[in-house]
Amino acid sequence: MTTVTKLTGNPTMAVQRKTSLMNRFWRWEASGILVALVALVLVLSFTTGNFLSSYNLVVVARQAAFVGLVALGQTMVLLVGGIDLSVGAAAGLSAIVGSLLLTSVGVNPYLVIPLTMLFGMGLGLINGVFVAGLRLNPFIVTLATWEIFAGLTLVITQGYPIRPLGEPFTFFGKGDVFGVPNPVVIFVVLGAALIWLLTQTRFGRNVFAVGGNREAAILAGIHVKRDEFLAFGLAGMFAALAGILYASRMDAGQPSVGEGWLMGCITAAILGGTSLRGGQGSIVGTMMGALLLAVLANGTVLLNVSGFWQRVIVGFVVLLAVLVDLFRTRD
Amino acid sequence: MSKFAFEAHNVSRSFGVVQALKNVSLGVAPGEVHAIIGENGAGKSTLMNIFCGKLQPTEGTLARNGEIVNFTSPIDSQQAGVGIAPQEVSLVPNLSVYENILLGAQLTKGPRIDWKLTRAEAIEHLHAVDDTIDPDLRVRKLSKAQQQLVQIARAAATKPRILIFDEPTAALTYRETEKLYSYIRNFRAEGGSVFYVSHRLDEVLALSDRISVLRDGAFIIELDPKNTSKETLVNHMVGRDVSRAQKALRPDFEKADVVLEVEGLCRAGEFEDVSFNLRKGEILGVSGLIGAGRTELAKCIFGLTHKTKGKVRILGQEHEIKSPADAINLGLVYLPEERKQEGIFPLLSITENMAMPNLDRFRSLLHFRFGDMQKEVQGYVERLKIKIGQQKDRITSLSGGNQQKVIIGRWLMKNSKILIMDEPTRGIDVNAKFEIQRELRRFTDNGLSIIFISSEIEEVIDVSDRVMVMHEGRVKGICNSGEASPEQLMQLAMS
Repeated sequence: MTTVTKLTGNPTMAVQRKTSLMNRFWRWEASGILVALVALVLVLSFTTGNFLSSYNLVVVARQAAFVGLVALGQTMVLLVGGIDLSVGAAAGLSAIVGSLLLTSVGVNPYLVIPLTMLFGMGLGLINGVFVAGLRLNPFIVTLATWEIFAGLTLVITQGYPIRPLGEPFTFFGKGDVFGVPNPVVIFVVLGAALIWLLTQTRFGRNVFAVGGNREAAILAGIHVKRDEFLAFGLAGMFAALAGILYASRMDAGQPSVGEGWLMGCITAAILGGTSLRGGQGSIVGTMMGALLLAVLANGTVLLNVSGFWQRVIVGFVVLLAVLVDLFRTRD
Repeated sequence: MSKFAFEAHNVSRSFGVVQALKNVSLGVAPGEVHAIIGENGAGKSTLMNIFCGKLQPTEGTLARNGEIVNFTSPIDSQQAGVGIAPQEVSLVPNLSVYENILLGAQLTKGPRIDWKLTRAEAIEHLHAVDDTIDPDLRVRKLSKAQQQLVQIARAAATKPRILIFDEPTAALTYRETEKLYSYIRNFRAEGGSVFYVSHRLDEVLALSDRISVLRDGAFIIELDPKNTSKETLVNHMVGRDVSRAQKALRPDFEKADVVLEVEGLCRAGEFEDVSFNLRKGEILGVSGLIGAGRTELAKCIFGLTHKTKGKVRILGQEHEIKSPADAINLGLVYLPEERKQEGIFPLLSITENMAMPNLDRFRSLLHFRFGDMQKEVQGYVERLKIKIGQQKDRITSLSGGNQQKVIIGRWLMKNSKILIMDEPTRGIDVNAKFEIQRELRRFTDNGLSIIFISSEIEEVIDVSDRVMVMHEGRVKGICNSGEASPEQLMQLAMS
């Protein structure tokens, strides 16, 4: 601390001094979640015999993949300064529509997933019209569309699952690549694609600009509404993908697909350092957030902790993450 | 073919029933700096926002090189070669300096951004304006002045032929302002056109080739800076004669009680070993460059931050001020620089804004005595000559200067003894500024003591009894304002 005192009176000097590797690590938004994840994995591998078994790791990864995919889209919306409460319901409705395309319409099984994603994107873009186009509050708009999507799912299915979906369609959800479940592969590949999109393309940088300071983005000649619109479209698309993959894995389009994913995906994004105010966050963080939630759920099972406690623990972890973030940004 | 590179033809703009611009026609030729001046609410910013496509005129047209153009958004104006450095800093706080400069215009290789090239080009634009800012820092780490400079580099990076500056120097210090001037002169020499909006009349006279005055949304007169005086400008702006704030007779302070005594105050990383005292009825000006630690000092005395070392005595009694609430109870009040963010409650009425910290006084057992409250507020509205419609109007319906007066009324009502004012006249119009400067003397006549922080050296000398100059967190000297010239103070502030 003595060096800081010597620089008295010129705060910019203090900021400009060479930063150590450690400092740079802490400045990274996802540093907290990485530390938490590593710590949790270490604890679980010592306290349980089978956490690190390949079977268990596959279970954890698959669990992370579904909520994780939804969280990827949610992160895009959060980054532009919005929020999408309808993702879980959009996933459910898309899964049903996709299942019907396969069973009733007879669409080629390999086309079902892209078509479902397009459908989900359409659902997201509906939110986009209201939020970006008409400047309505995203919380209220997506609360409404959540009800509409969830209701339509029940209207269409009358509460009954659509099954069986059969081979070869179930391969997408059940199959694996060299032992890694397909949903996990898709999650990681699309996560990497989004990282590239956000860090290496203009659209990606615009997303941060729009969420960080909408006014500045407008003045910079950025098509703010278009970018917000697209972010909502992506959220719908990722939700639909998660939903249809889940149906594929279950061999059934169940009306309950997507229930509980909303809180999971927002929690994953926040754990990963994404700000609810927009403009700050990362895909890597969100992916680790999703993984952490899955590890926590898995760990409570392995440690024989009652499932009822799991939610209590998740709640504490979120509070802890927010606290860590508070200290991290208070430099 | 018009001689103007960019011009407005009979442009009008109304917001509901309010006519913000009335039939204004003016233009800028290539290689010319055209200054636009006027009081707050004269329509300058509305005109600039129309120029950059943020607002559309309700009547009239814009023309670029004589051809009529129709800007529906800032995107259109940028494509037509019009760039703006807006009054309010408008940057993305979480992105780096260099990315902000080329925001939305990053250099790409195919779909990919070429970060190396982008950074290099951004640095080039930044260095044209200022070469001391670290391009890799996040914008939120920069000072207000630095952000303003980045904003200007941003505007320049769109490679405009017409550059609009809306109050560019409001947050800048002497040295940075000089750099900006030379940038503008270069731009002009290369055939660029500049619209320059400013409240600082000296710089308008020094910099521009032509001056247009707006008042109440209408074009008043075009003047040649070579044979125009500041007084003429002010008279055209306000439409009547304004005498400059009179240097009031300075009472003999040696005998007055010391109300505030600061001894060896330190806060690590911000300021060091600051000692001064303030007597009853005195105005102590605090001058210095931005980053000298003046605001930090004020915030620390007020209890917003905690001191590392030193003593603060109020009326001879040592106090540990741990929070603003402590300070207010001791009669010490701080009026922050960011009035909008820290001073007013934008959704509340004028009455509520003024009475907010005094509500207890108007409480009967079960209800507030609104009648009494309004009566007392009315008293201060009259005493401070605040121009309001009705007391129940939102405070945001007032101009900046009048909002400021409401806040001062708030603390007079609270019976405060010591007022710390941080840049109270920044960004408010000349008339309201003179008014506030005059009022300050009236406040002190009523027993207040004032610490007056300002970056405008002449203002500090005009207003204060004594001036304290700070540089890099240290007090460089305290002198009677009658004995100091602006040049001497500037020298102190910069060494």
